[in-house]
Amino acid sequence: MKRRPGIGGLQKAAAARDQYRLLGENVAKLRTDLMKEQLTTFRSQLEEFARKHKNDIRKNPAFRAQFHEMCAKVGVDPLASNKGFWAELLGIGDFYYELGVQIIEVCMLTRSHNGGLISLHELCNHLRLRRKKDREAVTEDDCLRAISKLKVLGSGFEVITVGKKKLVRSVPTELNKDHNQILELAQGQGYVTVEEVQRRHSWTSGRVIDALESLLEEGLAMIDDGHEDGKRRYWFPCVSSVYASSGADT
Amino acid sequence: MASGSSIGVGGLFENAEVTTSGRPVIRRNEVECFLLSSVDLDSEDDPPRFTALRSGNLILTTHRLIWIPSQSNTAVPSSVPLAGVTHIFTHKKSIKSMFHSPRIRFQADPGSIVVTIVFRGKGDFDGFLTKFWECWRGRAWEEEEKVESEVSRSGSGTVAQGLYGNDGTVRMVGLAGILRKEQEQWESTDKSLQDAFQDLNALMSKAKEMVSLAEKMRQKLLSAPSSQNGSTDDEEMGSKEEMQQWMLSVGIISPVTKESAGALYHQELSRQLADFVRIPLEQAGGMISLTDMYYHFNRARGTELISPDDLWQACSLWEKFDVPVMLRKFDSGVMVIQNKSHSDEEVMSRIRMLVTKTETLRTGVTASDAALTLKIAPAMAKEHLLTAETKGLLSRDMSPDGLRFYFNLFPEIDPTNLHFVKDFGTYGEWVKATSLLSV
Repeated sequence: MKRRPGIGGLQKAAAARDQYRLLGENVAKLRTDLMKEQLTTFRSQLEEFARKHKNDIRKNPAFRAQFHEMCAKVGVDPLASNKGFWAELLGIGDFYYELGVQIIEVCMLTRSHNGGLISLHELCNHLRLRRKKDREAVTEDDCLRAISKLKVLGSGFEVITVGKKKLVRSVPTELNKDHNQILELAQGQGYVTVEEVQRRHSWTSGRVIDALESLLEEGLAMIDDGHEDGKRRYWFPCVSSVYASSGADT
Repeated sequence: MASGSSIGVGGLFENAEVTTSGRPVIRRNEVECFLLSSVDLDSEDDPPRFTALRSGNLILTTHRLIWIPSQSNTAVPSSVPLAGVTHIFTHKKSIKSMFHSPRIRFQADPGSIVVTIVFRGKGDFDGFLTKFWECWRGRAWEEEEKVESEVSRSGSGTVAQGLYGNDGTVRMVGLAGILRKEQEQWESTDKSLQDAFQDLNALMSKAKEMVSLAEKMRQKLLSAPSSQNGSTDDEEMGSKEEMQQWMLSVGIISPVTKESAGALYHQELSRQLADFVRIPLEQAGGMISLTDMYYHFNRARGTELISPDDLWQACSLWEKFDVPVMLRKFDSGVMVIQNKSHSDEEVMSRIRMLVTKTETLRTGVTASDAALTLKIAPAMAKEHLLTAETKGLLSRDMSPDGLRFYFNLFPEIDPTNLHFVKDFGTYGEWVKATSLLSV
């Protein structure tokens, strides 16, 4: 004859289960904490080695491959040269090249948010976060220098000035998809305003102004300052349906 | 043993795979160490026991000696596994050798064939000999076999050792036992970390172990994301994971360096770049700016940075090789890399489709129309339209409203009979399209 568990039995079983669960959670937490700790050690050691023994690592191709693999796996940036005296003075050495690569990386990773336009200040902040182990902070001047080294690769990557802010543009006009979105937006009324684009796509004003300016340069847009609300309108005669009907009449 | 020599040839040299741009295909765990140009491989014996390989590039890796003909003539790319090398003869310096091209001899199985490497070009032969010895003595191929067998053995072992059995249930061990085992594992990891990072030599000898440790940590991090404490710390971890995924996906194990390739640096770099470019190019949709490529390429090379100048030179050398990619420079000064095939024909056929629609036959297209249909930036679309115009596909209409492009009907018009409209062809369609309007 089976004995049915009473309420007391159920409660006891539940209590035991709770205890096990608690213990399990503790162990799991302990485990992740420990691992994070070890990972941090691993990372900082790797970073230090990358900085200290750079030349020795480069001399041994087989070890270099392994070193890179380690770095990649635990998420360490193997590019960690110090600026050093000569780099500061003459702009030579790997420091600015490394910084250049990191700048492009930041630009590419933030591209989905900002469409390839990032303020110099924000860029610097990202780089500082990346290089927090470094004793020397990256200055805006360093960034400008590093970007000027990328000139050889064509004019797609450049520093532009919008108002007082310096912005870094990483997408050349030829590959810029923002323009298409503005054109699509303009199809409705035949024109857009800065505020409208800002609101509809939730872009920053710098991004909008830059895109509209280059559309002006391309000869696709026309400015209309004469409207009574005082806002500048950018007309796109090429896409508007208004034009198509009037063009058909003539 | 009448056919001894022919067996020797087949046994000694293996065919080496090369990429489309003429770089050797490197196997897993194999690392490229040295490269010399204008090298012959000769047989010492008389009569020769294999056909001599004349004027090619010799590439030394941790596993093989690879010979690739400098011109794609009759000779095939060949390789000798270092595992088969039985002896490397020391370099004798004599009066006679001073007038010869420098040469290195080694003996290889099967058949104990003596091969002479003759260097006809310039280069660091002593450096090569040292590396040759190093790689041969390093016996990287043996290590691999060892590690592989170890992995397969310990792989099943570690799974069962954990908190859970193979089938996912908690194994029947006392709680204390589990905790103790965890503790031991952590302590041993701690210790090996400490040992490995004492100095560079320690790290070098423990490199394999550390790589697998790194992999283990990565796996654990990936498998247990932010379930415990969803703080900002985890967010940071998450973004880091994302980042390293990016880097991991495109690794070049043996980057061409000034040290390994010497005088051939830019040439080899150019070939390697051509091989590498394929995947990022695909991801970017057939066209990628040179700066983006600079990032991808350097990230894949790890610490072996190249300068923007080197990248540019490597790209400009593509014209000389038969590679499927090309460098394109726009009037604005922007430079991009694109597939040769992607370049024009496909775009042209799409533009043709666009302008021969009834609607557009009448109204023509602007750069922005083309941009919206082709899903590319207006500046790019304009570029394509202008190319189409030079090819005779389009004709332009310049008016106060801007620049519009129409399908070029002139080739279809008969100069002797201007008003004759053929029943077929686009001209006829155009007449229909425009007359529809007036009705």
